[in-house]
Amino acid sequence: MAGLSLEHIGKTYPNGYEGVKDFNLEIEDKEFIIFVGPSGCGKSTTLRMIAGLEDITSGTLKIDGRVVNDVEPADRDIAMVFQTYALYPHMTVFDNMAFPLKLRKVPQADIDKAVHEAARILDLEKLLDRKPSALSGGQRQRVAMGRAIVRNPKVYLMDEPLSNLDAKLRVQMRAEISKLHDRLGATIIYVTHDQTEAMTLGTRIVVMKDGVMQQVDTPSKLYSEPCNLFVAGFIGSPQMNFIDATVGESAGKVTLTFGANTITVPDAKAAALKPYVGKVVIAGIRPEDVIEEHEHADGKNLSEPIDATVTVYELLGSEAMIYGDVDGGSVSAHVSATNPARTGSRIKVAFDMDKLHVFDKETEQAVVH
Amino acid sequence: MASLTKSKVGSARMKTFYAILIPVLILFVAFNTFPLITGVFYSFTDSKGYGAFNIVGLLNYADLFTDTRVLNSYLFTFKVAVVATIFTNVVSLMLAIALSSKIRFKSALRGLFFVPKILGALVVGYVFSYLFTWIIPAMTGTESILASPDLAWIAIVVVLVWQGCAQTTIIYITGLSSVPEDVYEAGALDGATGWNKFRYITLPLIMPSITTNMVLVMKDMLMVFDQIVAMTSGGPSQSTESISFLIYNNGLAGGQFGFQCANAVIFFVLIAAISIIQTNFLSSREEQL
Repeated sequence: MAGLSLEHIGKTYPNGYEGVKDFNLEIEDKEFIIFVGPSGCGKSTTLRMIAGLEDITSGTLKIDGRVVNDVEPADRDIAMVFQTYALYPHMTVFDNMAFPLKLRKVPQADIDKAVHEAARILDLEKLLDRKPSALSGGQRQRVAMGRAIVRNPKVYLMDEPLSNLDAKLRVQMRAEISKLHDRLGATIIYVTHDQTEAMTLGTRIVVMKDGVMQQVDTPSKLYSEPCNLFVAGFIGSPQMNFIDATVGESAGKVTLTFGANTITVPDAKAAALKPYVGKVVIAGIRPEDVIEEHEHADGKNLSEPIDATVTVYELLGSEAMIYGDVDGGSVSAHVSATNPARTGSRIKVAFDMDKLHVFDKETEQAVVH
Repeated sequence: MASLTKSKVGSARMKTFYAILIPVLILFVAFNTFPLITGVFYSFTDSKGYGAFNIVGLLNYADLFTDTRVLNSYLFTFKVAVVATIFTNVVSLMLAIALSSKIRFKSALRGLFFVPKILGALVVGYVFSYLFTWIIPAMTGTESILASPDLAWIAIVVVLVWQGCAQTTIIYITGLSSVPEDVYEAGALDGATGWNKFRYITLPLIMPSITTNMVLVMKDMLMVFDQIVAMTSGGPSQSTESISFLIYNNGLAGGQFGFQCANAVIFFVLIAAISIIQTNFLSSREEQL
């Protein structure tokens, strides 16, 4: 296994479109890195540049310390799992997995051993004689994994490998990939647009937008301290509530006012907001940090109560989501399934002020978490 | 009520189907099936193509197997067909790969390579006849190969391949475009480049196109006629007489109508058998993408 170094990597297409801009990242050995972002953000392009399937327009790519910008894909010692699996339809499962070894002229005995070992790990032993057309989506996915495993590459690249599977199988395969990472101790770079996959699998997550890396951090840090409005809105489902609010100051306290509501900012966050007094900022609060009056609030630093009218009530099983209008904006909140609020109810909510995020309205960068 | 409306709609639709189908069926039977049956009937007669005739049973069929001229035409036709089919497919596949790569003016070049298909076989035959009779001998200082009983067949093969490549190339281009790009990408990561990519990925995945082309080209080459008329008229010394040419020439102009009808029936059975064998053999190697 090996580490990777991406230094000022850029991708410009012949028509002048910049798919990836000045991408810098150091990936440690055995890391599970996730590239996440909306469609067209450049995450797959970056992965394909690492694989050698796309030319790198600018910058330097190193695998295990060796510059590989001009090295053929087969000579980079990487394996890739594709979204569409990309199995060879004319070959059996065994031959699909053995193919990369056969081309490298590995002795047949070693090929047999490697393929059977990978098949055992992935529970494919009974399917070795079948062709891909006789396999289910999940089985094909495992064969694609097997083809990567048998090569024992320095780096595994996975391009949305679970997106063609149904929801149940996706959860199952997600766990399988996680176990595989632990078992192989492999360096994995994984592309997804599914933030649940990103949060559950990654040791670090790279959030991208419009070809630009927005933030690289651990899942928990990314969730609790998003660096800008985009990351705050992209990570977390349902997404963070955003409300335009005017920063004020009275009696030595910094306040945020939206509509007829004014909430007092805790002292720990107030200092960062002082330069914004009199200006409009964007306040961000996650739904689980919006506390309805019937919910437990022990130990939480609650804001002043805010009147809200419930517009949508969604029961999710053990919990429910309520969406409501407040003067000056709208909020969503996680509540327990036993909460009496229903569509049309007039309720009171409060924000957990320790979890409040504030963003600069012009630059959209985080001011305080 | 709903089912009544549904059945009315169904009935109107069936009427439309029949209105389209029946005229075509009548034309097909009149100009295809009826002549075929008539031909089979005449193959049991001593008809000269005009005047009275007698039923001779299987005599024509028995004579076919002892007629040297007929046997030579079969040998010539199969030799030309096999060689031309192989060359047409090899050249077309190479062209299709080149025309599917990332090159400039790809669409224009594809159009250009299709031109031989839209030219009449007779026109092409006469042009190549001129080329082989005058230009090549003038350039090389040798005799025209069209004048040589041993080499004239090569000129026929050249023309057949040149013209046959147009349609075959298009079918191969379609076949190549149906191979998923990500399979090639997976191959590139696995180490399948150059010859290995062609041998292990491209070739097995375009087997449906190979089946189609082998069957169509073989059938076309076995039925070679126009090029013979334009270039050699079966000569020199009857060395380039194809089966179709012999059937036409001796059947309609040589007073052997019944005899050549028997030849045509045998030829029809042979082509059908070869096509079925080819299809069965090659389709067993096809893979569903």
